[in-house]
Amino acid sequence: MPRRLLGLLLVLPALSVIALLFILPLVMSAVGAFRVETGWGLGNFAKSFDLYLNDILFSVGIVSLSTLLIGLGAIAIGGYLTLGAHPLAVTILRWLYRWPMFIPFIVVGQILRTFLAKNGMMNNTAISLGLMTPIDAVSFLDWRGIVIAFVWKQTPFVALLVAGAMASVNREGIEAAVNLGASKLRVLAEIIVPQVTATLAVGLILSFVTMMSVLSVPLMINAQSPTMLTADIAFRVNAYGDYGVANALGLISLVLASSVAWIYLRISLRERA
Amino acid sequence: MSGAGFLKIDGVATGYGATQVLKDISLSIASGEFVALLGSSGCGKTTLLRVLAGFVAPKSGIVSVRQREVTHLPPDKRGMALVFQSYALWPHMSVAQNIGYGLKLRGVASADIARRVSAMQAMLGLEGLEDRKPGALSGGQRQRVALGRALVVDPEILLLDEPLSNLDARIRLTVRHELRALQQRLGITAIHVTHDREEAMVMADRIVILDAGRIAQQGSPEEVYNRPASAFVAAFMGAENHVSLTVDVQSDTVSIAPGPANRAGQVPLSGRSLSSGPVEARFRPEAARLFSLSAETPNEPGLVFEGRVVSVTYPGGLWRHVVRLADREILADAVHPFAAGETVGVFVAAASLFLFNMSANAADSSVSRPDGRE
Repeated sequence: MPRRLLGLLLVLPALSVIALLFILPLVMSAVGAFRVETGWGLGNFAKSFDLYLNDILFSVGIVSLSTLLIGLGAIAIGGYLTLGAHPLAVTILRWLYRWPMFIPFIVVGQILRTFLAKNGMMNNTAISLGLMTPIDAVSFLDWRGIVIAFVWKQTPFVALLVAGAMASVNREGIEAAVNLGASKLRVLAEIIVPQVTATLAVGLILSFVTMMSVLSVPLMINAQSPTMLTADIAFRVNAYGDYGVANALGLISLVLASSVAWIYLRISLRERA
Repeated sequence: MSGAGFLKIDGVATGYGATQVLKDISLSIASGEFVALLGSSGCGKTTLLRVLAGFVAPKSGIVSVRQREVTHLPPDKRGMALVFQSYALWPHMSVAQNIGYGLKLRGVASADIARRVSAMQAMLGLEGLEDRKPGALSGGQRQRVALGRALVVDPEILLLDEPLSNLDARIRLTVRHELRALQQRLGITAIHVTHDREEAMVMADRIVILDAGRIAQQGSPEEVYNRPASAFVAAFMGAENHVSLTVDVQSDTVSIAPGPANRAGQVPLSGRSLSSGPVEARFRPEAARLFSLSAETPNEPGLVFEGRVVSVTYPGGLWRHVVRLADREILADAVHPFAAGETVGVFVAAASLFLFNMSANAADSSVSRPDGRE
């Protein structure tokens, strides 16, 4: 008995840190979402959907599209690292692709703001190369800018996980497919990717959740309507001190993020069955 | 065998970095022949197979099939299918998908694929397993799926990279014969890499022994077993007992000078290429005949050693003795056990005694055993 108590005592500090700093604020915020002036109710959610339905759809759309592009990018990078025939190109790619991981989101936003603006570096370069005229130059500082920023920042992370998983796929299995006449693209799509789907899913879900919570990129690149939920939450709190709607929006983000995690859990349970 | 020179390897050399793995390999394989590439780890046998399959480009030399050069063709354009040591089945595909993948790549209609896959399953005894994943198969079943995947595309040449080495010892013995029977039934040319001497002996028409990237000897199982061309081949083929002797060669007899462990003896030269001087003698434990020194010495050409029994074990069939001869220990089998500590004579018949000049280059393809059969 005293041994058991000792065990409980040992985990108590960690447990209380989690309870006090993580679970309690989360519960408070969730509870706060249902608190209206007259007591309890769904008023905050009604207001959230009234004011921000477009932003909710916008957020889901942007993050889903980014997730899809990140997945494709990660498969392409991992695939080249695994199957690339040119050793120098593989080495250069291996060395280069990780860098965006070490750049904070706010800096990504800043870099891409100056790069994607109407008279930014991208358009200027295209104009000076004669690829377009100054009249055709458009700003990418809208939903496209956010997608570019997310993909730019998150692809290396997923590629790192996916490339690691691909490296552990049996080489002889790849050679067996080549021996039977499979092209590199088919080897990637039909032999390698199906063997790394679990890792790919984990990477994409973590990226999805991360992107749902990024505030700096939408603020830097797309400070207009529609924008992402994170910007709305910050706006509700900072401009109006309206914690009720902010909490409701937060809960909506949480439900969106956990629905993805739920899909993943179902897949992994089915695989294990 | 008909169709000689069906698959030709001419002066192939290759290596990784500064290490040379294959040095000037030339080999001509007939259509329908079963050739075993035999050698210890690192001798280059798997590399040679990978050169044939098209996964390793040789630094020099030519590989051709039916007089058509395939040296630099991609793996799938050579009419060869490879069975891997690890089987390399795709874990996410079912048995039927694994077997049918090569046909799918060739754009065969799916009804046709289903028909050919089930015919292949029937031939290999894999009926009813089509929906299983490789993870749910036994080692023997996996091996057959790997074989089916290679055979279903009708290759002219089947390349086998130690396909039996991951099987249980008992299953391996039956699979040897099944694989050999299948190869003969299909009339397919097979090249089988192995480090298992017995496996090569029972399966192959011809054994090619590789040593350090060169062909040490090639020939029928009976030839390489009874007429090893070098001390290396003799040792690899089981003649692990070795003793140093001094010989004097005259016209057609080899006189062996008495040494610390052996009596004087004479064996017929009969085809050995041997010159006078120090030689290395090799023989198998089962070729040695133990006799008590009080008994009569066997009266036939051969050599007699004298030594003391160190230990006796019974591996089955014959009693195996460790016998101390002057400066070394040898193994010798006998029908009846001799007691440890007993002084015995060890007789090796002329036909079973392999002699090689010590100083001469071991790779010289010389004939070391008499032509005559026992």
